[in-house]
Amino acid sequence: MTTDAPVVLGIETSCDETGIGIVRGHELLANEIASSVDEHARFGGVVPEVASRAHLEAIEPALGRACATAGMRLDDVDAIAVTAGPGLVGALLVGVATAKALSVALGVPVYGVNHLASHVVVDELQHGPLPDPTVGLLVSGGHSSLLLVADDVSTITPLGQTLDDAAGEAFDKVARLLGLPFPGGPWIDRIAREGDPRAIAFPRGLSGPGDRDRYPYDFSFSGLKTAVARWVRAKEAAGEPVPVADVAASVQEAIVDVLTARLVAACVEKGVGTAVIGGGVAANSRLRTMAEERCAAAGISLRVPRPDLCTDNGAMVAALGSRLVRDGVPPSPLDFVTTSNLPVTRRSW
Amino acid sequence: MTALTTRRFAVPTAASMRELGSAVGRACSGGDVIVLTGELGAGKTTFTQGVAQGLGIDEAVTSPTFVIARVHRHASGGHDLVHVDAYRLGSALELDDLDLEADLDTSVVVVEWGGGLAEHLSPTLLDVDIDRSDHEDDEERTVTLAARGTGWSARLGDDAAWPT
Repeated sequence: MTTDAPVVLGIETSCDETGIGIVRGHELLANEIASSVDEHARFGGVVPEVASRAHLEAIEPALGRACATAGMRLDDVDAIAVTAGPGLVGALLVGVATAKALSVALGVPVYGVNHLASHVVVDELQHGPLPDPTVGLLVSGGHSSLLLVADDVSTITPLGQTLDDAAGEAFDKVARLLGLPFPGGPWIDRIAREGDPRAIAFPRGLSGPGDRDRYPYDFSFSGLKTAVARWVRAKEAAGEPVPVADVAASVQEAIVDVLTARLVAACVEKGVGTAVIGGGVAANSRLRTMAEERCAAAGISLRVPRPDLCTDNGAMVAALGSRLVRDGVPPSPLDFVTTSNLPVTRRSW
Repeated sequence: MTALTTRRFAVPTAASMRELGSAVGRACSGGDVIVLTGELGAGKTTFTQGVAQGLGIDEAVTSPTFVIARVHRHASGGHDLVHVDAYRLGSALELDDLDLEADLDTSVVVVEWGGGLAEHLSPTLLDVDIDRSDHEDDEERTVTLAARGTGWSARLGDDAAWPT
């Protein structure tokens, strides 16, 4: 294989998206996604067993589509990368079993990789190699983490994480309180445009005295959720209409304010000139705007991948795999396992 | 010591919610199932953080909503904590389906939104109801612990085990 621009097939099945991506070096060749959201709707929510079965049904057609899009055959692939964790174990297993089978059948190495690290490295497909070091903000329905990515993307140090709810979860749960559909993030984003972000002063988690020292780069969104619930109920109890747009705008402002403040503080205090935002919440328009303003003011260069590379996808897994191949990292042993909480400090098995 | 089927607490702050959870954690034994009921923002996760503390688990207890269930290991051989969010589960909870990497006989299982879904998991169960409907103007909650089966009613009767 050519180690400077290896062709890597990436497989992502950590939750309810079946993602297959193909890259050559930093170049994105294919990014196919099948979602099992419709199947979960029949059961009224995500059921792990249903997700696993849906991956099983979707993965082979997705592989075929990815090869067709990339204009290549499976045996053109130099290496396989697959998400080994964190995620739903049964769902991860489908991807890992497929990756191992392909590795044996094609006689190419397999890398079991870290889902969180993939969300940061994916930006290389759109904006080229990440400068060294970079601070990554990963915000999605399941994760909210600040990561220091150093030594040519080989050392990933967690700086902070959420102590309770993830940022995307906070959006979803507030949307539920306001009677908006799931997933709540896009709805809050849309409705907030008609509201006043300063209408209600919702609390910023971990901004009390002493918190800044104890939890410099952590997040907490549980108190915000409670504050919104109380505010809405008080309005209803008083027989007044709930100004949904103002609540949405004020909640969004509170979440985005904390995320961007911590991101900028991490960059400034660690002497880092580049920030990357990844994960589904990176699609939030207010987060993008505020992060751009605050990073620009602090002299930090901000990189945000386009939305289809922010949500779970196979290309991000392939991007990290491509990195590992180019860095000469040995492949994972064939008996590597899935793990629901693979620490972010490990890029791969 | 008299057996009690319910015990009620006025819980004014997040710190006291954690303290009550911690008392429940200390009273737990392997195989216990705790079912948490309370609306969004009532303090279910805060209570569970207290349970973890009472069990002697150091790691952060974050929301299990996204992954449905999270296993928190005890670092030195005590009971593991299995923290489940059943909100998105449509039908009766089958812990086997969650692919948990934990021995349920020696773990303590806390199920949020588990009312009507988790009752079959164990013959002795502790129901925890967090209610703040009488407290529009302050942060106070009323927390009711209710035993199902004899195991918990004996423990609820032990006055020394509970905050006043």
